[in-house]
Amino acid sequence: MKDPASFSSRALTVALAAALVLSLALVARPVLDLRGSGNDQGHSPEQPIAYSHRLHAGELAIPCLYCHFAAEKSRSAGIPPLSVCMNCHARVTAPFIDVRAEDAAALKEKRKPRVLMSEEIRKIYDALGLTSDGTPSPDRTPSPVRWNRVHNLPDFVYFDHRPHVAAGLICQTCHGPVETMEKMSQHSDLSMGWCVNCHRRTKPAGTVRRASTDCATCHY
Amino acid sequence: MSQKARKRYWKSLKERAGAGARESREAEVDVAMSRRSFLKAVGFSLSAATLSACSRSRVFKAAPHLVASEGVVPGRAAWYASTCGGCSAGCGALVKVRDGRPIKLEGSPAHPISRGGLCAVGQASILELYDSRRLKSALWGGNPASWSDVDARILAALKGVKTRGSSVRVLTGTVTSPSLEHAIARFLAGFSDGKHVVYDALSTSAILEAHSRTHGERSLPRYRFEEADVIVGIDADFLGTWISPVEYSAGWRSGRTLEGTPPRMSYHVQYEARMSLTGANADRRVLLAPGFEALLAEHLANEVAARAGAPAPFGASAPCPVDARQLKDLAGRLWASRGRSFVVCGTNNLAAQLAVNQVNHLLGSYRRTLDLQKPSFQRRGDDSTLRKLFDEISGGKVGALVIHGCNPAAELPAAGASWQEALGRVGLVVATSSHLDETSRLAAAVVPDHHYLESWADAQPAAGVAAVVQPVLRPLGDTRSALESFALWTGKPQSALDMVRGTWRASMHARQSSEASFDDFWNRTVQDGFAALAVGGRAVRPFDGGAVRSASRASAGPPGTGLALVLYPKVGMLEGRHAQNPWLQEMPDPVSKVVWDNYASLSPETARSLGVEQGDLVRLSTDAESLELPAFLQPGQKDGTVCAALGYGRDGTERFFDVGPDWISGKPTVPHGGRVGRNVSRFLSFVDGQLSCTTWSVRLEKTGGTQALACTQDYHSLKVPERLAEHPGETRDIVRETTLAEYAADASSGNPSEPSALATLWPTSSGKTGRRWGMTVDLSACTGCSSCVIACQAENNIPVVGKDEVARRRDMHWMRIDRYYADIEAGIEAVHQPMLCQQCGHASCETVCPVAATVGGEEGLNQQVYNRCVGTRYCANNCPYKVRRFNWFEYRRADAQENMVLNPDVTIRSRGVMEKCSFCIQRIQEAKIEAKRLGVPLGTEDILTACQQSCPTQAIVFGDLNDAKSRVAARMKDPRRYRVLEEIGVEPAIGYLTKVSNRRV
Repeated sequence: MKDPASFSSRALTVALAAALVLSLALVARPVLDLRGSGNDQGHSPEQPIAYSHRLHAGELAIPCLYCHFAAEKSRSAGIPPLSVCMNCHARVTAPFIDVRAEDAAALKEKRKPRVLMSEEIRKIYDALGLTSDGTPSPDRTPSPVRWNRVHNLPDFVYFDHRPHVAAGLICQTCHGPVETMEKMSQHSDLSMGWCVNCHRRTKPAGTVRRASTDCATCHY
Repeated sequence: MSQKARKRYWKSLKERAGAGARESREAEVDVAMSRRSFLKAVGFSLSAATLSACSRSRVFKAAPHLVASEGVVPGRAAWYASTCGGCSAGCGALVKVRDGRPIKLEGSPAHPISRGGLCAVGQASILELYDSRRLKSALWGGNPASWSDVDARILAALKGVKTRGSSVRVLTGTVTSPSLEHAIARFLAGFSDGKHVVYDALSTSAILEAHSRTHGERSLPRYRFEEADVIVGIDADFLGTWISPVEYSAGWRSGRTLEGTPPRMSYHVQYEARMSLTGANADRRVLLAPGFEALLAEHLANEVAARAGAPAPFGASAPCPVDARQLKDLAGRLWASRGRSFVVCGTNNLAAQLAVNQVNHLLGSYRRTLDLQKPSFQRRGDDSTLRKLFDEISGGKVGALVIHGCNPAAELPAAGASWQEALGRVGLVVATSSHLDETSRLAAAVVPDHHYLESWADAQPAAGVAAVVQPVLRPLGDTRSALESFALWTGKPQSALDMVRGTWRASMHARQSSEASFDDFWNRTVQDGFAALAVGGRAVRPFDGGAVRSASRASAGPPGTGLALVLYPKVGMLEGRHAQNPWLQEMPDPVSKVVWDNYASLSPETARSLGVEQGDLVRLSTDAESLELPAFLQPGQKDGTVCAALGYGRDGTERFFDVGPDWISGKPTVPHGGRVGRNVSRFLSFVDGQLSCTTWSVRLEKTGGTQALACTQDYHSLKVPERLAEHPGETRDIVRETTLAEYAADASSGNPSEPSALATLWPTSSGKTGRRWGMTVDLSACTGCSSCVIACQAENNIPVVGKDEVARRRDMHWMRIDRYYADIEAGIEAVHQPMLCQQCGHASCETVCPVAATVGGEEGLNQQVYNRCVGTRYCANNCPYKVRRFNWFEYRRADAQENMVLNPDVTIRSRGVMEKCSFCIQRIQEAKIEAKRLGVPLGTEDILTACQQSCPTQAIVFGDLNDAKSRVAARMKDPRRYRVLEEIGVEPAIGYLTKVSNRRV
């Protein structure tokens, strides 16, 4: 018969060891995932609406500034208000291929084609408090979409889109091949070294001076 | 250069006494740390550091508008013209709105009243918009109630009053809004006995009364300081707190620009008992015991009359209270500049004001410098009707009392035994207060008004100047414009916008000719913020000397003996309506430099004779009242007087107990449940029907207790430390002064060229091209009003640290106004000097930073990089100007809602980081980027730093020193220009211009 005291002490050791392994495993994942502090390269959060840049900017070749119109005149490029989405989506409510199929089916069944609305586009209508025919819905109050920011800079850095757009940089220089991204992700590491290297190399169009590397260009 | 002995300047009495500004070492905190606790701490910090390094950034949310509004671009500021509601002066303000939040007020450059400046109170009033203690709903009996419920009860009570034929009174401060005036008149017209009673806590009723007697109209003249060559102020703090300080400061300054040949500068004499900001700026300051103002004015009138060849208006009376020879001389100067001179008097005493009117009449001032054709409406209060109201209230004759825009229970002596008892006799008391304050606590119904930035309103601060107040955000609480409240109780509910437009359509549109359609006129006015209107030919009755003679004469002296208690408004706090504003509480008083308190100030001699030292708690008592205050020794004050500031001890200031960091040695700014300062308004009294700020025969005794005062001028000394001085008492030319006569002879007088700096190891900066940002500060223009201090605080997210931290020399203001005293034969003089980071070319802070967190930039700026700073504080120790500020703590806001006022373009500094003036780099960057975006050259003159923008006297000029055409470069070449501590060779980028004054003439 084993000593109950030594049994319980061995059990404790095993339990502790198991806990250690488990906690290491828990810690290991984020540790392996580590980059420099604050470096979020590849950050690609889920969004409340599965908006595809590949489709809009790539396949449909809508210019970036059509939606992110503030990039030319403001510090931030801005996420477009839903009214910009509705410029097209007041009419376009489902993938073209589905609409074609529905039209064909309706023709065959000799009925009026139904208005199709994809799940993601319905979210726009819901947020605006609209029914699917575009009229205000009585039982729904408009509420803004809370997107998850992909590009975050620390609070002590002031990046401004205006001079970069004015200098003729194309968006992809920093944001990468957005037109191929199904889900938006952070392309560059946005570290200070990355900023400064470009500022050192670059002479903005039409000027003789390189871009400033003064601290106060970004930090104030 | 004349070989006169240099003036010796000093900042505090201790320094004058020769103790130097030796800064007492703070009590070192004795922290016993055992090995065990040390290991604990190490373990904790190690793991905390590791964990924080591991963490991925949080996911931040971004919620764009659902529907884009035209003209609103996220991240871009929009500016709206409006009118400041900080006091009744009606200055023009531009409101900066970023992403829907108003974050800054600036002066409206074209505004006819304020001419571009905005005072500290006005700028700080934006913080009150976000005050979470503002009432969020209507109250009935002290409990939240729905608007419909409260209105129904009020209407029922008013109906009862109407049927009983009982009286209705509306009690307000000065109302400059024509729309509100109409709304109140319409409301009162529905009752058989309805009256609108107007009072000002800082009363000027005697001025209005005197003009009604001498000119037949109860009006306040518009004082045109810019037209005056000789200004005599008798107890009128017109640069600090009196009626319309921004307007008067701008006018005062434009009469002293030194332009033309011979250079123009007005001569300003100030007679006063306390050391006011205006006295500190006067060319000649003469001490006058309180109660002698009328006598002085009568003697002055007789002297001026003698020069005019007119019979003496006043018969033989007591001897002149000041040096008679000097008064004769002053009368001569006034007479020589007749038509371009005037006397202003701030004493609310009818005899004094009548005598002042007599002087001004003799001088012909009413033709040019005092405007009664286009009078001011900034003060309308009538103390006699207020007195009548008191009688009616205590007689139980008032059926309903509506109190709007004032707080009588805190600002006035009680209308009976106490305000509670008095208001208990009124059938219905309604208050429109935005807070639960002394008055609204006693009211049956509280119907909170909007903040002025939340509602439509208007203002008419002077004849011919009408202005619009426009909302810049939706009301944060469930409040209602007082305009709408009055309209609803009249039975004609209307929106505030419709009411204002209605008033303007009816009475303003016809008075201008440039816009034919009303809509065009309205739209232009809303865009500009104001409109200039024609003033009908008003017939001002000619001066009636009989009224002066028939009035009661000034008595030979004050009605009492012993100590005189003088109550005064403090710059920033005024009558106390902004007492809950932490920015204003922490703004150092421009003269005493004390924060977070009011105090009983005594002249050093009086204090010595009473055996009182600074910080002693003293009990002030009259037969009726008694109050304890800490003593403060104020050089330059009249002996035998005690001065105490109004506006303190207010309900609601107990909220400040948790201002400042919470740490082991921290002391609360106010004791739990206590107030900031003490309310002295109970010492106000009615003298000859006018509210009087002076009480005689006051007893003063030490209680034995002490209360430390936090004063910012006991430290930050730029003096040579005693142990380093080559010879004792070595002075540095930190402030430089000259007189007008010497300046006219030699423009560089008072500004001797220093022996060239020591050999320098630095490369010379002279060959540098490109921009070099710089600034000039004209000491002749700076009055010390401190509006720049608050402008900087609002612009640069400067935290409030609390009284204890200030006492520990940890105030965070990037811009401070140093106040220097100098002994002269007739007492003391004062000079104000704005002190901020000098953006040195060879900055001594940069060389000692071990991590290069502070470095010189391409455009001459001394940059502070917060994220690099590790907090060694070497830079602050090595800064000769003492302008660096260290974040000893995370100075969070006690009221989290006030975070909404933060400027998103400036980093919030965290604990352990050094900070300092950046020359408003965010504004420079904004201008540069906009120029780049639009492809136009940078207009360096268009960049205004926050301090420069707000300055009522335009003392500050900022720009590019390397641009020869810039104003700043021109002023840098002025012979008056010098640089503070130039001899140490740090190449500061700020030039000061020698103070030229009409002193010692």
